[in-house]
Amino acid sequence: MSYFAFLGAIEHGLVFSLMAIGVFLTFRALDFPDLSVDGSLPLGAAVSALLITKGVDPYLSVAAATLAGFGAGAITALLNTKLKILNLLAGILTMIGLYSINLRVMGMPNIPLLGYETVFTPIEAMGISPQVAAIGLFAVFALVICVFLVWFFHTDIGLALRATGDNMKMVKAQGVNTDRMIFFGVALSNGFVAMSGALVAQSLGFADVNMGIGTVVAGLASVIVGEAVLSSSTVLKAVIGVVIGSMIYRLAVAFALSVELGPIKLSPGDLNLITAIIVVIALTFPGIRKKLGGAK
Amino acid sequence: MLSVVAGFQSPDGGSVLFDGNDITKMPEYKRAEFIGVVFQDPLSGTAKSLSIEENMAIAAKRGSKRWFRMGVTAKRRAFFKGHLEQLGLGLEKRLKTNAGLLSGGQRQSLTLLMAAMANPQILLLDEHTAALDPRTAGLVMGLTDKIIKDLGLTAMMVTHNMKQALDYGNRIIMMHEGSVILDIKGKEKEGLTIPDLLDMFEKVRGEGLVDDKLLLSK
Repeated sequence: MSYFAFLGAIEHGLVFSLMAIGVFLTFRALDFPDLSVDGSLPLGAAVSALLITKGVDPYLSVAAATLAGFGAGAITALLNTKLKILNLLAGILTMIGLYSINLRVMGMPNIPLLGYETVFTPIEAMGISPQVAAIGLFAVFALVICVFLVWFFHTDIGLALRATGDNMKMVKAQGVNTDRMIFFGVALSNGFVAMSGALVAQSLGFADVNMGIGTVVAGLASVIVGEAVLSSSTVLKAVIGVVIGSMIYRLAVAFALSVELGPIKLSPGDLNLITAIIVVIALTFPGIRKKLGGAK
Repeated sequence: MLSVVAGFQSPDGGSVLFDGNDITKMPEYKRAEFIGVVFQDPLSGTAKSLSIEENMAIAAKRGSKRWFRMGVTAKRRAFFKGHLEQLGLGLEKRLKTNAGLLSGGQRQSLTLLMAAMANPQILLLDEHTAALDPRTAGLVMGLTDKIIKDLGLTAMMVTHNMKQALDYGNRIIMMHEGSVILDIKGKEKEGLTIPDLLDMFEKVRGEGLVDDKLLLSK
C-alpha cells in the first residue's frame, strides 16, 4: 500500500467514524438495530451539496444536513414506538423512503461540487495541502463528537438511554419513558450519520444517491473491530474504540484492494463483499481468541 | 394483581385506584413516580452495564424530569454512599463496579434500595426473595422490613412463603385462580399460624372444587 493510500484510509476512517459512532449509539448503546443510516448518509450528502450549490456557507450546510438526519432518525423512532413497527423494519422503511427523498432533494442522481467552496476551502487557503487539511478537520470533528457523546452518556438522560438498551424492564420501573429515549437515541444517531455524509460529499467532491449502500455494515464493522481492539468496559474506551475501529477498517479495506493474487485483482466493486468478510472475521474473532487459549 | 397495580398488564375489568384517583390507564413509567418495584429476578432490577452509582442515579431521578445534568455528582455520590452503607455489604466501596458483576443477593439489595429512593408511596415486592439462597433471602427480607419501617411505606409483597407472610405482613390476602379467596387483617391476623392458614385455604378451595365436581358429573 502506498503512502498516499495510507493517508487516504486514515482520512476515510476519520470521516466515517462519525457515522460509526451513530451506528454504535443505536446498535450498542440503545440495542436498536437501525438500518435507516443507509438512507441518512446520502441524505446528509444531498442536503449539504444542494445548499452549497445554492451558495450557503459550507459549515452551515453541515449543520443543516445533521438536522435533516435527526429528522430521518425521528421518523424511524416514531414508526417503531408509536406505530409499533418492528425496529429492523422501521429502519428499512425509512431507508427506502429516503432514497426517493434524496433524489427529490438533489433533483438528479448526483451533484458535483467541483469549483464550489467547501469546509476545506478556508484551511487550504492557509497553504495546507488538501489531504492534511481533510485529516485535520475530520480529526477535530471526531474529537468534538467523542467528547460530546462521553459527556452525554453521563448525563441523566444519557444514563437513562444506556439503561434502556440494557434493561428495559428496569428503566420503566424507574420512571423512564423508553419511547422518548428511543426517539432521542435514534434521531441523534442519524444526525451523526448525516453529518458524516455531508463531510464525505465535500471531501469526495460530489453527492450521489447511491453512496449510502453498505453504510450500516461498514459502521458495524468499525464498531466490532473497535471492540476487538479496545475493550468497551467504559464509555470513554468504547467511543475511542469506535474511532480507532473505523480507521483500522478503512486500512483493512485499502490493503485488501491493493493485494494482487495472481490473475485476481480486487476492484472497488468488491468492497461490499470485503466488508461482509471483515465483519464475519471480527464477529468470530473473540471466539477464535478464546479457543486459542488467550485471555478473556 | 401486582402486575396490574404496577402497570405491567392492563386489567380485563375493573379499575386501579390510587389515593382516590383512577390510574388504570396510566402508563407504567408514570406510575413509577409513586410506586417502587422489586422483581423476582435479581437481574431485572438493575442495568448490568452501568455502575452501581449510575444505577442509583437513575433511581434517584425517578418521577422527575431527566435532562442534561450530570447523572453522578459529588453530592449525589455521598448520598449514595450513605444509602449503601445501610446494607452492610461493602458496596459503598465499589461505586464504580458494574452491576453485572454483583451477586444475586447484592443486586437484589441494590434494587430494593433503588426502589425505596425518590420517595415512593407504595413498594411492590414480587416474590423478591424467591430466587435467593435462604441466608441471603433472610438478609434481604430483614432489610426490606427495615426500609419499610424507616420510611413508613405501604408495601405489597407477593410470596409463596407463608411464614414470611405471617411474620412480616399486617394484612394477608390469599389468591386462588385469579381471585381473592381470603382477606385477613388486624386482630384476626394476630396469633395466626401456618396450619391455620392452610386449613382456611383448604376449606375455601375445597368448597369450590366440590361445586365444580358436582357440576361436571351431571
